Amino acid sequence: MFWERNIETLEKDQLQVLQSERLARTLNQAVQAPFYKKIFEEYQVDPKKIKRSSEIKNLPFTTKQDLRDNVPYGLLTIDQKEVIRLHCSSGTTGNPIVVFHTRHDIDSWSNLMARSLFAAGVRDTDVFQNICGYGLFTGGLGFQYGCETLGCLSIPAGAGNTARQIKLMQDYGTTAIHAIPSYLNRLHEFIVAKGMDARKDLKLKKMMIGAEPYTEEQRVRIQEMFGIKAYNSYGLTEMNGPGVAFECECQSGLHIWEDAYIVEIIDPKTLEPVPDGEIGELVMTTLDRHAVPILRFRTRDLTRIIPGKCDCGRTHKRIDRITGRTDDMFIVKGCNVFPMQVEAVLLQIPEVANNYMIKLETINDNSEMIIEVEVLSNWFRGDIARLDGLKKQIEHGIRNEVLVKPIIRMVEAGSLPVSEGKAVRVQDLRNLN
Amino acid sequence: MAYQVSIFLENKIGHLRKITTLLAENQINIRTMNLTHTSNDWGVLNLIVDFPDKAHQVLNSQNFSVALREVIALEMDDHPGGLDNLLGKVEAAGVNFTNAYSRILKAGGEAFLILDSADTEQAREKLKKLGLAPLDDETVYGK
Repeated sequence: MFWERNIETLEKDQLQVLQSERLARTLNQAVQAPFYKKIFEEYQVDPKKIKRSSEIKNLPFTTKQDLRDNVPYGLLTIDQKEVIRLHCSSGTTGNPIVVFHTRHDIDSWSNLMARSLFAAGVRDTDVFQNICGYGLFTGGLGFQYGCETLGCLSIPAGAGNTARQIKLMQDYGTTAIHAIPSYLNRLHEFIVAKGMDARKDLKLKKMMIGAEPYTEEQRVRIQEMFGIKAYNSYGLTEMNGPGVAFECECQSGLHIWEDAYIVEIIDPKTLEPVPDGEIGELVMTTLDRHAVPILRFRTRDLTRIIPGKCDCGRTHKRIDRITGRTDDMFIVKGCNVFPMQVEAVLLQIPEVANNYMIKLETINDNSEMIIEVEVLSNWFRGDIARLDGLKKQIEHGIRNEVLVKPIIRMVEAGSLPVSEGKAVRVQDLRNLN
Repeated sequence: MAYQVSIFLENKIGHLRKITTLLAENQINIRTMNLTHTSNDWGVLNLIVDFPDKAHQVLNSQNFSVALREVIALEMDDHPGGLDNLLGKVEAAGVNFTNAYSRILKAGGEAFLILDSADTEQAREKLKKLGLAPLDDETVYGK
């Protein structure tokens, strides 16, 4: 069963023809953006000479820094009148990146999202509860539009308020949900605490999970808790958001939609392509986006192409779960966090200054960000009120910046490692591998 | 004016002992103590010792987070109603405090109460108006 059989099962050579056509169109579009116009001149790229998708190697990469440096309109190719929405990343440190969408872009994205959900077995008869933040975060509206395109009864429940989530599930007979895995743990605890059995007392048939790192073991545990399958989702704001790659019912890797993206896996050091099956950095080019086409975007995500064909019959390549990052970004509670953002907040608080450590830990199956702060004699006055006030100040500051509420741990002076040169300030102690 | 030595401590096995060992080695006598902890994994140890400056210096040199904090010591009687009687006066003076602990000097005789207020000077002024003077340092420190 396919959402678009002709595209999803297109033979490799035909897929390449389609990609080549769309790449040519994309390059013509890209040159309208001040950023790419400049880049093409600088690298002496003649977009008209690139005829085949395999020639994409002649184009320079686009990095997240390029996107940041060109906020707000440097990558916009068309009149703002044509733009109907923007999404941007969290944070106020540096420039949050922005992606604009025309009506075509939103339709294209919604269709990819619908195709993804259909591949995971969601149908128009499903009642789909989207348990994630709406707004600038792409997981909310991305899934919402996908559900509507597919024709599900969608429930835009948003994040949090577990009691209400369960009530919605009961009242409207929710059959499919989308959430970050760590939230599903909490949801399950709540269900058990209410004296319910998640496997019997709800009508859930399937779950979509993603937006934060988790292991296969964690997925298996979530599936056991609810007694249903959980399908992996992959996406990033730069490439729309969710709907970039999704697991089909075979659960053997995520199909990455090659009619909409050219996928490369490169060695992050040599920048040369690696053979299928080997782990490298995922590089992506949009093929069906008008407002902000992005060429050879270095996602910094490490994965591999799974060789061979999928039993489902789809011909689009499959990527493996993301195994790590080539930069220092980490993901916690579905939010992308750069240590720099956290550091910028902490440095503004005189008591903290340089005496902190960011730790990522798995606590009760949830990913948590812990900030350890040394209590130093130069500001310690012996009162608990001040320590509590400081704890709240750090909590609020970080939450406002990266949207994740950290756990603050006050520690004795001298307990954190002494910094020598550029200290390692982030320790990822989560059980992710 | 009495001073309390306040030390930040993580709530871990052996951490309190590190302080007492250090004070013992330096012949510092602990007159009374109080440990306040929060719902977090840490707390503040408050000590009244015979030589607060020395204790502060010794602890500071060992990299403990330590502060000297002015407190008010008030005399009371070690018999039923002794504390209640004193608190009646503190209440009448309109003094609020964030922490309190005590020591008996002589069973059935004298005792004192340590009051930690956010604004010690103001608290002392208010108590003074009601004729309630802090206990002398020698008695508090036991010298």
